[in-house]
Amino acid sequence: MSARGTRRFIADLLHGRRPRPFSADDADAAQLRAAITLRSARPGSAAPRTEFVTDLHQRLAAELTGEPTAAAQARPGRPVHNSRRRLVQATSIAAAAAAVGAVVDHAVTKGVPAESGRDQTLNPTTGQWRTVSASADLTEGAVQAFDLGSVIGFVARTGGQLRAVSGVCTHLGCRLALDAAASRLDCPCHRTSFALNGQLLTHQLPVAPPALPHLQVREAHGAVQIYAPPGPAG
Amino acid sequence: MVGDGFYPDWEAVYRDNVDRVYRLMFAKVGNRPDAEDLTAEVFLTALRPLRVSASAAEVRAYLLTTARTVLAGYWRRTLGHEVTRLRDDDSLEAAPADAAATAASADALGRASVVLAELPEHYRRILQLRFLDSCSLREAAAAMGVSVAYAKVLQHRALRRAAQLLEAGR
Repeated sequence: MSARGTRRFIADLLHGRRPRPFSADDADAAQLRAAITLRSARPGSAAPRTEFVTDLHQRLAAELTGEPTAAAQARPGRPVHNSRRRLVQATSIAAAAAAVGAVVDHAVTKGVPAESGRDQTLNPTTGQWRTVSASADLTEGAVQAFDLGSVIGFVARTGGQLRAVSGVCTHLGCRLALDAAASRLDCPCHRTSFALNGQLLTHQLPVAPPALPHLQVREAHGAVQIYAPPGPAG
Repeated sequence: MVGDGFYPDWEAVYRDNVDRVYRLMFAKVGNRPDAEDLTAEVFLTALRPLRVSASAAEVRAYLLTTARTVLAGYWRRTLGHEVTRLRDDDSLEAAPADAAATAASADALGRASVVLAELPEHYRRILQLRFLDSCSLREAAAAMGVSVAYAKVLQHRALRRAAQLLEAGR
């Protein structure tokens, strides 16, 4: 019986936090089961957040773009909830040029915006959640650079949502610098710049470099964490 | 497309089922961050190999099987103990627009109220305040006219008693 683990788990549940793992036995499990039954009966708490539903939709679209799906063609006449977002998701690589031109607010200075509309998420085979900042330090609108040894990047909280992107230019691998005032990541090598969501903003290259890969980010135990491979320092 | 028909594409599968899968997971883990992660895991695992030519009922059965595996893996990773599992009568069939939502959350609601009704008044009250009315320990203590320390003890005992009742009814 792990009284402490159970107590903490229940406190986390009550606060709507992600409960912390511990080694539970039968008696613990029975109590946790009761706590979960009661907690999930709380009125109004069972429905998913709209942001989550849209985000997951986007992630899936990115994961599945390699496959020929019927959704690759935007179908007019079907009800859509968010036409702008749907447009981006429904874009096959072939159609990317046109669609990206239509939805990106900043103009690409020249060149072909090849795959810049396509989201890539880094999914390390042996990753772990690694803390990059205290939750409280990353306030709304804030951006922070992090260096985990294995990956470097930037994490931002915009509209209540966390987003992390790689901090390496997708052209030739220079380290990006944050221009906080312009909410932009600038490459010192070839004047390429990216938005905080990884989207390519401007460049002067013959071929547009792809968008910055996303990193999985979460908040747990009052910390902002990135899912990354273990660093050289362990 | 919805009901007995077929889904035209994976997006339709997603739109029609994301709410159901999430509610099911929430009923099993009781917290949003994990329910979101597990829902994402179900769709990321299930959608790639999914044959959209399968009927809606088959697709849901498949999502449910995936959800069962994902949930079992979650408990194995976190507590080494299968605290909750998808049972044979768990389903994704109920329409999410229904007031009662999915069978899973309706079930949790039902079991919670049955257990609460069987508890002694003090126990029922503290669990109601803490788990259902989102009160802090301090607020719950104030509402019951007891000290914070006693409210804490009460909650602990009440939950243990509720667990016994639930186990007996399983």
